[in-house]
Amino acid sequence: MEKDEKQLSEQESLRLINEMIGKAKKSYVTKGVASIVWGVLIVVCSLLTWAQIQYKFDLGFDVWLLLLAALVPQIFFSIKEKRQKNFVGHDEITMQYLWATFGICIFILSYYSSRVHDDSITSLYMMLYGIPTFITGGIFKFKPMILGGVICWGLSIGSMFTPLSIDMLFMAACGLFAWLIPGIILWNKYKKQESCNV
Amino acid sequence: MQQENFSPQESLQLIQSMIDKTRRNMGDDSKYFLLWGWITFIAFIGQFVLKNVFAYDKHYLVWLLIIPGIIISIIFGIKEEKNRKVTTYLDESMKYLWMGMGISFFVLSMILSRMGWGENIFPFFMLLYGLGTFVSGKILQFIPLVVGGLIAWTFAMAAVFFNYDYQMLFGAAAILFSYIIPAYMLRRKNNSSLIN
Repeated sequence: MEKDEKQLSEQESLRLINEMIGKAKKSYVTKGVASIVWGVLIVVCSLLTWAQIQYKFDLGFDVWLLLLAALVPQIFFSIKEKRQKNFVGHDEITMQYLWATFGICIFILSYYSSRVHDDSITSLYMMLYGIPTFITGGIFKFKPMILGGVICWGLSIGSMFTPLSIDMLFMAACGLFAWLIPGIILWNKYKKQESCNV
Repeated sequence: MQQENFSPQESLQLIQSMIDKTRRNMGDDSKYFLLWGWITFIAFIGQFVLKNVFAYDKHYLVWLLIIPGIIISIIFGIKEEKNRKVTTYLDESMKYLWMGMGISFFVLSMILSRMGWGENIFPFFMLLYGLGTFVSGKILQFIPLVVGGLIAWTFAMAAVFFNYDYQMLFGAAAILFSYIIPAYMLRRKNNSSLIN
């Protein structure tokens, strides 16, 4: 059977690798959709929490539960994409594990904050937001995300000196700079690329 | 110009050899895991002994050990960068991962210096130990690092139920399983693969 395998020249191998990279670039993550969804949710949840503290009202439910709602489309698109694809790039696998790990850490931190009630926990969330954002930006050589990660860390340090209501505005800024803006840039790039291919 | 032909299997072997090569580099880099693993392990145990056995007030000063650790890491890094001929994709991933982790440890220390170093601080560090080693293990496809990461997270969650003193012991155990043991295993694996 091995004898029947097609021999690839160096150039053909490179073309194949390029195709693989091209396919990987079209993924849900690199299209920026996931980034936009998370960015919007973090901004909305942070601003709603800020409004509740600032104007002293209660929505009657924990707005951060909305984040769980974001998992549904993300899982749906991931499964759909997995079925369509016969190749998964190494960078995609790295991203999957990096963001899954981030999810686990957020879960552990939430569990921790449920036991220890301390306003400084918001600083720790922002610190965690910076980690996968910075690493993703570094691996993909995508400067807006590198910058987004650094902004999260800066705001995390800044939030130690501010009350909870201002922390929520910082958190909204994290969502904006780490995910929403980079996501929109990625989406625009993807659309531009697609229109060039037509 | 003569072109070399690759079968799909050979192409895959080439990719696998790149992963192995990076893992070997990582085996060389296991010195970082060992350096930081041992420094942190000694600091945890040292602080526990100074506080509970000798009742020394400034038990936390043992953490000054990280200063020589930073200097040694910088020297290692400069030397390696000079000798490095090729940078693979995995090298890049590991570089950004650990750069991000380093900054996070710094930010966490800043936050904790504000929150106070008194109670419940070590689980946060264990959380980060787990994050770095779990992702490293997945990138390098090296199971002991992945398992080490999971163990560190488990200890991070369990430590919350114990007081500050016992959290130090959880921290020592977390670093032992997530850094020290996997690093020795990685080094041994790479030494044996070099011999073969």
